[in-house]
Amino acid sequence: MEEETFDPELICSIFKLVWSRRATERNESIEVVDVEVGDRTKKNRQTTANSNALKLSCELIRIFVTEAVQRSGMIAEAEGINKIEPTHLERVLPQLLLDF
Amino acid sequence: MDGGDVDGGVGGGGGIEKDEEAEERTELLRDRFRLSVISIANAEAKKLDMEASEPVVACVADLAFKYTAEQLARDVELFAQHAGRKSVNMEDIILSAHRNKHLTGLLRSFSQELKGKGPQTERKRKKSSKKEDKAIPS
Repeated sequence: MEEETFDPELICSIFKLVWSRRATERNESIEVVDVEVGDRTKKNRQTTANSNALKLSCELIRIFVTEAVQRSGMIAEAEGINKIEPTHLERVLPQLLLDF
Repeated sequence: MDGGDVDGGVGGGGGIEKDEEAEERTELLRDRFRLSVISIANAEAKKLDMEASEPVVACVADLAFKYTAEQLARDVELFAQHAGRKSVNMEDIILSAHRNKHLTGLLRSFSQELKGKGPQTERKRKKSSKKEDKAIPS
């Protein structure tokens, strides 16, 4: 059972990038007096994720990709085609985005 | 990330460099992410005895990246903050899928598996096996 999935490290890096950007935005909007302290002030410590949460996120995103492919595949199959084309993806996109 | 080179404080040269750096990092991560999506999507299509065309895979990769970076990351950060935590945990991830019951169920069972495999050396063995017995449907 070789389930292809995402690398937790990759997801972690993406999260960290997003969170550090938000932290910088927060820093700029709040008047941070002690600039030298940088990332270590209590209020502005960056969000992190624990390892199980990362693995679970990998699973979640993997399911997103899987659902996209499976749902589009069903449309393609209904049309009797065995290659998934953008038109098939288009059909399933609204519901997919609502479901996630 | 070194906050040490904040000279003038508000933006200025330092700000633009940081933006470019962030852009580059984002592109790098997006590319690595795309590669993973390509292999997952192609494997899925194969399971269905089908083939996924290139534009479809590229599109799914972009959507998934957007979902991850824009929705998921923001949502779970907010949930953790709302709970007064700085660290995102599994409950936050599960909560982010609250709109879709089926998905929530899948995530919950996956999380049970993860907890089961977890480090049993951290807690006393007796306690962790008791928890496993009780924790079946939560």
